[in-house]
Amino acid sequence: MLWDRAPDADNYAGRKRAIVLKTIVFFCFSVVFFKLFYLMVIQHKGLSEKAEQQYSRAVTLMPQRGTIYDRSMRELAVNIETNSLYAVPVKMENINDVSSRLSPVVKVSANILSSRLADGKGRKSSFMWIARKMDEDMSRGAEKVKDKLKNTVGVVTETKRYYPKGQLAAHILGYTDIDNKGLEGIERRYDKHMKGQVKKVQLGRDAHGLNLANNTEEGIPGNSLLLTIDEGLQHIVERELAGAVETWHAEGAVGIMMDPMTGEIFALANMPTYDLNVPADADVSERRNRAITDSYEPGSTFKVISASGVIEEGLVTPESKFDCSKGYINVGGGKPIRDVHKNGVLTFKECVQKSSNVCLIQAGTILGEKKFYEYVKGFGFGDKTGIDLIGEVGGLLKSPGAWSGRTLATMSIGQEIGVTPLQILRAYSAIANGGRLMKPYIVSEVISPDRRIIEKSSPKVERQVVSEETAKTMRDILKTVVTEGGTAQRASIKGNAVAGKTGTAQMIDPKTGRYSSSDYVSSFVGFVPADNPRISLIIVVFKPRGASYGGTVAAPVFRNIIEQTLTYLDVPMERDENNITLVSR
Amino acid sequence: MRRVAPTLNPNFIKVMFDKETLKKFEWPIFIAVLILSFIGVMTIYSATRSLTGEGQQSFYLKQVFWLFIGLLCFVPLISFDYRWFIRSAYVLFVISVILLIAVIIAGRIGMGAQRWMSIGPFSFQPSEIFKICFVLAISKYLADSEHKDILGLKELFQMMFAFVALPLILILKQPDLGTGLMLLFIFCSVILTVGARKKLIVVTIIIAIVSLPFLGNIVWSGLKDYQKQRLVAFIDPKADPQGTSYHINQSKITIGSGKIFGKGYLKGTQGPLRFLPERHTDFIFSAFAEEWGFAGSVFLFLLYLFIILRGFDTAKKARDPEGRYLALGITYMISFYFIINVGMTLGVVPVVGVPLPFMIYGGTALLSNFIAIGILINVRMRRFLLFY
Repeated sequence: MLWDRAPDADNYAGRKRAIVLKTIVFFCFSVVFFKLFYLMVIQHKGLSEKAEQQYSRAVTLMPQRGTIYDRSMRELAVNIETNSLYAVPVKMENINDVSSRLSPVVKVSANILSSRLADGKGRKSSFMWIARKMDEDMSRGAEKVKDKLKNTVGVVTETKRYYPKGQLAAHILGYTDIDNKGLEGIERRYDKHMKGQVKKVQLGRDAHGLNLANNTEEGIPGNSLLLTIDEGLQHIVERELAGAVETWHAEGAVGIMMDPMTGEIFALANMPTYDLNVPADADVSERRNRAITDSYEPGSTFKVISASGVIEEGLVTPESKFDCSKGYINVGGGKPIRDVHKNGVLTFKECVQKSSNVCLIQAGTILGEKKFYEYVKGFGFGDKTGIDLIGEVGGLLKSPGAWSGRTLATMSIGQEIGVTPLQILRAYSAIANGGRLMKPYIVSEVISPDRRIIEKSSPKVERQVVSEETAKTMRDILKTVVTEGGTAQRASIKGNAVAGKTGTAQMIDPKTGRYSSSDYVSSFVGFVPADNPRISLIIVVFKPRGASYGGTVAAPVFRNIIEQTLTYLDVPMERDENNITLVSR
Repeated sequence: MRRVAPTLNPNFIKVMFDKETLKKFEWPIFIAVLILSFIGVMTIYSATRSLTGEGQQSFYLKQVFWLFIGLLCFVPLISFDYRWFIRSAYVLFVISVILLIAVIIAGRIGMGAQRWMSIGPFSFQPSEIFKICFVLAISKYLADSEHKDILGLKELFQMMFAFVALPLILILKQPDLGTGLMLLFIFCSVILTVGARKKLIVVTIIIAIVSLPFLGNIVWSGLKDYQKQRLVAFIDPKADPQGTSYHINQSKITIGSGKIFGKGYLKGTQGPLRFLPERHTDFIFSAFAEEWGFAGSVFLFLLYLFIILRGFDTAKKARDPEGRYLALGITYMISFYFIINVGMTLGVVPVVGVPLPFMIYGGTALLSNFIAIGILINVRMRRFLLFY
C-alpha cells in the first residue's frame, strides 16, 4: 500500500514517493507565493505608479474667453465651437492610406501629410494636429473620415474666437491666435482678463482611450469686457471714412470720436481696415492702428495750442490786432513762412478762424520757447495718452534745447512735431470740457463670468491745462472756423454750433527728407454742440488726391458723421434754422 | 505477493442520503469551495463592471446560475458511492473522448480555438468534462492493477495509449495547450506516486534529456504563433510591452497596485478599464488581488492550500485504491490548476489558458470543478465505511 495505513517494508518506497510529490507540489506553491509577496509587498510602489500612469491622463481644460461688448452690451467678439482634427501617428499602420484619405478633407497635399505623419510616427507621437478650427465643410468631411480611420484620427471641439461684425472696430478689438491668445488691440491688452484659466485635471481613461467622465467641463472662463465704443457710432465713422478714402483716393484715414467730458472713446476707426475673422489675409498696413501708433505733423490743428497759451497767459485777447498784411513772416533763417491768402490786419479771433500762419507764429513768439513748450507738454504732446490699447506712441517732441532758430515758429503752426490723432483729439476735448486734459479709455467695465463688475474705469483728469475762461474763449474762437469766413464752413451743420479747426500739413517725403508737394495730411478736429460739447471728433485723411485742404477733404466727413451722430444720439437742436413753425391742427 | 482488494459488500454501494450522510458530510472542504465560488462571483462582478457608462455585463449572473447547477450536482455526487462512478469510468471516458472528437468536427470557434460545443442555448467545453473522466479512468485502471507491486513498462504503455495519446492529440488540436499540459501533469504525478520501476523512471528521464532538443524542436514548430510569442514574452516581458507580454505586464501591474490591503471591493480599476485582459477568466486572480491586496491574496492561498491538504489527507485515508487514486488525481488537478494559473498571473509561468478552480468565469469549468470536489468529498465521507 502506498500510504501509511500499515507501515511495512513493502510500501515504504511508496510513502517516500508520495512525500516527494507532495513536497514538489508545496514547493511550486511556495514559489508562486513568494512571487506574490514580491509583487505585492516589495514592488507594489512601482507597479502602482505604472497603473496610475496608464489610466490617468493630465488633461488641460480650455477656458471660454470673455466676450467683448460695446457700451450697449452688443457683442463684438464671441466664442463659437469648432471642430479640430488630430491624428495619432503612433497607431497608424498605413500612413499613405491615411494621408490620401485626409488630403481632400483638409486640402493639404497627401505627400506633405504623409511626411508629417511619418515623422510623428518616428517620434512615437500619439497626438498631432491635422487641421484646427475647421469650417463647416471641412468639419463634416472630417467627421466622415474619422469614422473610417478609427483610433488613428479624431475630432475634438475647440472654441474659436469669432467677430460677428467682421471688420467693425477691427483696430480696437484686435484678434487672437489659434490658441485664443490675444495678439492685437483689446484682445492683447486685456488678454489676461479675458483668457480665463486653464484647469489641469487628471482624467481617468480606459485601455481603449475612452475618457471615463463624459467631460463637458471647461476651464475657469475669462472675464468679459464692456467697451466705451458704441457699435452704431463706430459703424457711422467707418462708413464715412471709407467713403472719404474712396472719394479722395486717399492712402488712408483715421477717425476718432470721444466724449470730451470723460475721455470715453465712442468710436475709433482706421482705413484701410480688415476682417477680424481672417486676420492672416490682411496686409500689415491694414492692421496698423494709425490713430495711436503713427505720428504725423498736424499742421494748423496744432495752432490751438499756441493760441490757448497766449490767451491763458493774458498776452493776447481775442480782439487783439495782428498785422498779417505782408502775407509772410521771416523766421530764424531759411525761407519765410507764408499764409495761403494775404489777410491784412486781423483780430486774433480772425487769425485762428482763417488759420493765419503769420499771426500764429507771432503769437508763439510772444509766448516764448519755454512757455510754449510747457503748453505743448501740458496738452499732452510728447507723451502717450495712456489709452488702453496696444502700440501707442507718444509722438515726436524735441525738448527746447534741441530746437533750432525756426522751431518755435514752425511748431506754433504744427510743424516739426509728430503727434497722433488721439493726442490732437484729446487736446481739443480739453478745450471742449473747460480745460481738463482727460485720459482716454476704451474699456469701461471688466465683468466676471457671474456678471459681477470687477473693474470699472472712471474718467480721469490728468491735469487742468488752461482755465475754464480760456477754454470758453477758445471755444468761441473755434466756433467761427465753421462759419462764414472760416476755413471749414463745410463742417457746419444745421441746428447745432460746431467748434473745430482744420489742418493741412505737407508730408515729409521720405526720399528727399523735404516736404512733399503732393502728399498732404488733411484733418479736421472739433466738437459739438460747441457750447455744451457732447462729442469731439477728429478726422485725418492721409494723402488725399485732388484736394488737400482739411476744410475740403476732412470737414465734410466730420459734418456727415456729426449729423448722423446727433440724430443717432438724439441730441436736440439748439436752434431752428429751417424756420418751421409747428402748428397743431 | 498478491494484494487482496477489499471485498465489496453490495450494501456499501447504495444510495446514501440520510441523516448519517449529513453527519459524515465533509463540511470544511465544501465551505472552503463555497467561499471561493462566492469570491469568484464577486470578483467577476467587480472586474466586468463598466466605468465608462455602459451597463453592467451579465457575466456574474450566469456564474450564479452555474453555481446553483453545481450545488445541485452535489446531491447525486455525494449520494452514490464513488465506486458507481469508477464502475462506469471507462464508459464515461469513451463518451468524453467522443465529445472531444465532436468538438473538433462541429465545435464552435472562439478566441482562436475550437473548444466549445453548443447544445441549444448552452455551450460547454468537452475538455473540462474530459479531465474528470480521465481521472476516473486512470483511477480504475490503477486500482485494477493494484495487484502489481510496481508499474512496469507494459502497464505504462497500456495507459499511455489507452488514456493519454488520443485525447492529448485531440486537445492539442483544439488547441488547448493548458488542458493538454494538465493532463500530462496529472498523469505523471499519479504514476510517480503509484510508483513505477526505478529503472523505468531513470530511463525515461535519460530519454527525455537526450531527446529534449529534438522534441523541443518538434514542439516549437508545432506551437501556434501566439503560443510561441507567449513563451518569448514569458522569458523577456520587456521585449514588446504592447504586444504579447502585454498580458503579463498588465497582470503584474494589476496585482502590484493592490499593495498590502488592496484598493477595496469595487475600487479596482485595471479590469473595468480594460487594461487587464481576460479579467474575469484567466486573469481573475489579478483582479481579485488588486481589490483585496496581499492580505486578501494570502487568505485565498490559504483556502486553496487547505483544500489541497485536505485532498492529500483524503487520499491517505481512502478506504480503497479507487478512492485513493481518485482523491490523488483530483488533488493534483486542483493543485496544478491553481499553481499554473496564479503563477501565470504573477509571471512565474508562461501564459497558458488554465482556469483558476472555482473562481474563473465559465459554466463548464465551474461545473467540472464542483464534480471533482463532489467526488473528493464522496471519497472522504466513505473513508471509514470499511470499519463499520
